Amino acid sequence: MPNETLMVMKRLREYPEDSWTLDRYLATDGYNNARKAVADMSSADLIALVKDAGLRGKGGAGFPTGMKWSFVPQDIFPRYVVINHDEGEPGTFKDRELMEKDPHQLIEGIIIAAWAVGANKAFVYCRGEFALGARRLDAAVAEAYRAGYLGTGLFDTDFNLDIVVHRGAGAYICGEESALLDSLEGFRGQPRLKPPFPAIKGLYGQPTVINNTETISTLPHIVGNDAAWFKQWGTEKAPGTKVMSVSGHVNKPGNYEVEYGMSLGDLLQVAGGMIGSKPVKAVIPGGASAPLVTDLNVGMDFESLKEAGTMLGSGAVVFMDDSTCMVRNALLTAHFFEHESCGKCTPCREGTWWKVKVLERIEHGEGRQEDLQLLLDICNSMDGKCFCPLGDASSWAVRSNVKLFWEEFEQHVALGRCPFDDHDEMLVGAHTGRGSGFVGEQNAGVGEEGV
Amino acid sequence: MSDQAPARDDLVTVTINGTTVQTEKGRLLIDVAEEIGNFIPRFCYHPGMKSVAVCRMCLVNVEGMPKLQPACATPVADGMIANTVSDEAVEAQKGVLELLLINHPLDCPICDRAGECPLQDQTYKHGPGSSRYVEEKRHYEKALDISELVVLDRERCVLCWRCVRFSDEIAGDRFIQLVDRGDGTQILNFTDDPFDSYFSGNTIQICPVGALTSKPYRFVSRPWDLETAPSVCDYCSVGCPLTNETRAGNLVRRQALPNEQVNDFWICDKGRFGYHYVSSEDRLTTPLVRSGEDFEQTGWAQALAVVAGKLKGAANVGVIAGGHLTTEDSYAIGKLARKVIGTKDVDSRIQDAGAPYELAMSLTGVAGSNATIDDLKAASNVVWVGPDPKESLPVLYLHLHTGVRDRNTDLFIVSSSSTSLDIHAAQVTRVAPSAQPAAIEALGDKLEGPTVVCWSPGYAGRDESPTLRAAVALAQKVGGKLLVCPPHAGSQGALDMGLHPALEAGHAVVAEPGRGTRQILQAAADGELDVLLIFGADVVADFPDADLARKALGGKAFVVCVELFSTETALLSDVVFPSAASPEREGTFTNLERRLQKLEPLTKPPGTAREVWKTCAAIASALDEDWGWHGFGDVWTDIKGNVRTHADVDIDKLTQEAPLPHPFDEQGFEGEHPSPLRMSGPGGQYPKGHRSGAPFATGQNWPLSWELRAFEARQRPGYVFPAPEVTEAPAMTSPEAVSEGSFELLSGRLIYDEGAMVSRSAALRGLQPDPFIEINDSDAKRLGIADGDPVIVSGAGNEIAVKARVNGVAEGCVFVPYDQKDCRANRLMSGVDPCVEIRKADA
Repeated sequence: MPNETLMVMKRLREYPEDSWTLDRYLATDGYNNARKAVADMSSADLIALVKDAGLRGKGGAGFPTGMKWSFVPQDIFPRYVVINHDEGEPGTFKDRELMEKDPHQLIEGIIIAAWAVGANKAFVYCRGEFALGARRLDAAVAEAYRAGYLGTGLFDTDFNLDIVVHRGAGAYICGEESALLDSLEGFRGQPRLKPPFPAIKGLYGQPTVINNTETISTLPHIVGNDAAWFKQWGTEKAPGTKVMSVSGHVNKPGNYEVEYGMSLGDLLQVAGGMIGSKPVKAVIPGGASAPLVTDLNVGMDFESLKEAGTMLGSGAVVFMDDSTCMVRNALLTAHFFEHESCGKCTPCREGTWWKVKVLERIEHGEGRQEDLQLLLDICNSMDGKCFCPLGDASSWAVRSNVKLFWEEFEQHVALGRCPFDDHDEMLVGAHTGRGSGFVGEQNAGVGEEGV
Repeated sequence: MSDQAPARDDLVTVTINGTTVQTEKGRLLIDVAEEIGNFIPRFCYHPGMKSVAVCRMCLVNVEGMPKLQPACATPVADGMIANTVSDEAVEAQKGVLELLLINHPLDCPICDRAGECPLQDQTYKHGPGSSRYVEEKRHYEKALDISELVVLDRERCVLCWRCVRFSDEIAGDRFIQLVDRGDGTQILNFTDDPFDSYFSGNTIQICPVGALTSKPYRFVSRPWDLETAPSVCDYCSVGCPLTNETRAGNLVRRQALPNEQVNDFWICDKGRFGYHYVSSEDRLTTPLVRSGEDFEQTGWAQALAVVAGKLKGAANVGVIAGGHLTTEDSYAIGKLARKVIGTKDVDSRIQDAGAPYELAMSLTGVAGSNATIDDLKAASNVVWVGPDPKESLPVLYLHLHTGVRDRNTDLFIVSSSSTSLDIHAAQVTRVAPSAQPAAIEALGDKLEGPTVVCWSPGYAGRDESPTLRAAVALAQKVGGKLLVCPPHAGSQGALDMGLHPALEAGHAVVAEPGRGTRQILQAAADGELDVLLIFGADVVADFPDADLARKALGGKAFVVCVELFSTETALLSDVVFPSAASPEREGTFTNLERRLQKLEPLTKPPGTAREVWKTCAAIASALDEDWGWHGFGDVWTDIKGNVRTHADVDIDKLTQEAPLPHPFDEQGFEGEHPSPLRMSGPGGQYPKGHRSGAPFATGQNWPLSWELRAFEARQRPGYVFPAPEVTEAPAMTSPEAVSEGSFELLSGRLIYDEGAMVSRSAALRGLQPDPFIEINDSDAKRLGIADGDPVIVSGAGNEIAVKARVNGVAEGCVFVPYDQKDCRANRLMSGVDPCVEIRKADA
């Protein structure tokens, strides 16, 4: 029976009643690792340790974290650390849980990262909808300041660090690191032309390291142990663990922290198997951007999934059973990207719009045989031609739906209707048209418990 | 075209479509490719602005790169191998065009841009033949008025951001922006603010579709029905090259021509839209001879005989010329005055009467600049002494703004009234005019590195000798250069040609100076003049003492006026000759950096109006002096033989030759619409070398897109004539200040005012602000005046009622814009350094 490997989720699993408080954090070895890093280790030591551990970014691209840090020019100050907590990929909810339930782990990670890259100011860019998490982080930052873990002269050294918590206004594109920086600076959240890359010229034109919440939350564990300890889990190229957000037709949807490389089938078992033990029709292995897979033997790590023609992405795994209409699935995904396209470049702005139009026609029985090829052609006109990965990714998802389930698409055209049950609620989003989707202070499903 | 070959390590070797070239490091692939004949299609890229790479039209293959690269954001690197026409690139270009067109309304038959539309042209060459889009297109309200001059159609927009980038990067006024996101992204002005930029017309010209169109030109013509000739703007002294464009003989449009050394790609809205005066009903069409209270229309011979009769018996003759005459006109006036009539009382300074340009000679050798606009761009420090250049020299303002923004220029401002550049300046010194010299001197210790000191005659009616002397001394001290900015397109040419009481043509100092404008008018008012000749100058409206001007014209002197319009001055004259306007003239303007640029004639003057030099030659002939001038070339033979600074000018080189036949040019169009000037726009230097391979050809007999057509033209950078040896400035006597009052009167031009040409340009009429004055915050408090309060300003026995704006003008000073509607500042002036009283108007 496959099992979880708890590291960043250990505390919140063990102490669900108060895992977000400073008292609980201190009672479970809190801030000792930051103290060790700042007081006992040099910046070079830290970067070497993280490189040695093979830690890779957990936001989607899987870029080696230590290498990213080492790109920061030696002689340019100030420099900044920015935490990308704009977790917007459909199906992903891991960073949300980490911030809501273990904000001090994140703060400790930020201290370590800031020390490593020589930054005295860090910004946490929170997805606008994540109200509870932002409030808990705000409170945790305030606690940390009061306890002397933030501010001036940390751990009896001359190291100073301030953290600014900033809430976004509801745009998926602001999870793209350069768009995030523009948004943080108060401009339209749109990706910047690269180069220069943020490590050279980022926030306010200064060298900036941007890391994902989960990546940063991992740092205290690496510092507290060592590279070899960290590498006992995972694969050679992706050591350690990954929090997978499992959803869809499974019995126990939720976040599961597992070793890199665990097979998709084992992950399904961890999540309690399919509802009613129905067969798996298709799996989205890494968020809405990722092409579908059908082989449950594939390993959940960057390399194996790449070989299977898809990607690990942010680790959002959506299992779909045979009651799923793949045209509808493609339409939902396409609609998401249409809504979230920033509009900066032509292929994304127009391509996402057009795909929705064509998919809506097919789903509603007005498709034509040539529309299938048209969809693939639109995807070709976008893939690799867009300004940033948003547009490229929107083509991968739709293309894999069409290619893998060509007959199902043809069936829609031939029947002049959707052959699946008419559960229209799936399409609610697609019909409502434009809207910010911003829910303000409401945070459905999590409740309003205090921090 | 650089003076010397760049050093070896500046060069990289790149191979594009199999052709290997050497070029400077850091240039963009899109430019280098184009230069060697591979035009890469584009929408968002514009050589005058930073790349954004958003349209994705210029994607090409670069070896070693996993994905296609946008050529507009890819600097060439040594050993780079690029393919702009690979199957992959061509497929991508086709794909992007198909996507751009799905929501484009394809309303070319009713679109002003059709025929010179980059979207249209590039679709012909690179696009798919038909669309597979069958759904409803995106809809917006069409033809949105976003200003008095610009109409926006968001359905046609391809969101290339050119207009937004221009507004932000170049003009520095973000009146239009991107609004909303994704497929709902739109270009829009902010809710209550119209697109009130002085430079809005540039966005129309650089729009690659018909999304931004010109209100005055809307539905007026098809581009293929236009006749076009290159010319130079006839307003301020920056001298931006532009086109005149006519349909069926009527001037219907002006567009900027690019010249890297003068205006980059831009002109201001005054230059672009201020052309309706040419066809104004006020234009004079025949000579007029006074007959009692009225004028009699006559032939030229009769009017010339009257004038010759008066001149023959005249002992005292004064000659005043305006600022909008060509170099040739000015030369002819100088020759007529000094050689034929024999008077030294010649001046061309009207609004800037008494402006001490001659003081520059001790640094520059001329009554003018030794700095060029290129020097200004290269300088690390720029000192601006004068009123707001955005109002009086708009394109110079753009250079100053982009200098601070993009070229790390430190800008030091010494001005008595607030300027648009204050927010960009490293230091602003806001003091009364009398304190300016000390403020300028104090900058001497702050300036390191190349410095250009700019001086523009600040405030009408003031003696600015101490200020200019300090500016010259500052430039001398820091080893910098001087940019003297006279007000009008013809001002520098007039100084060059000796329309100055102390200078003959070629900046030769006259042994004993004659009388300047103020003294000439005073003499006329005192009855000491027999004849007063006025060329293109409305002294009543423009001279900084309206009453004196009236008295001068009403005195016993016989007044001859050569004018475009029936101005107040013309109506007070005895003989009036009609003259030709800028699009009707062959001539040259000399700009503030002494650059000669050529105007090509396109239309015929109305009636029997003619160029001023012809009128001068005719008067000379009536006085039995035959100059033998039959054409423009004869005038230049004369100038070259007699003006030392202009001996080496090759006037033919200022004329644009027709460009070489384009390798892709289709035949037929030129034949059907014969016009030797059709394609002869003067080009700039963007990008270096010829533009070829552009997509026009595919447009089947269609004319070139304007933006591209301008590139196509050969360079015509004009010619900066060499300055003679530095010399001691002639001593001019400064009149004593006589005016009394509690506020020093500062008066400078606004861009849209009651000037003779701009006020007769219909498109700009609605843009004049309501008359206002500006006073300092503490002065306002003292007088109990709040922002927006009505006030009465009195001086020289006259009063004007006007609204007050409370802002950053120097304490003890009041800024009264020069020529506002029903509120002429020159009525408040008497003598030099005028002062006024201000009081709150009764409610």
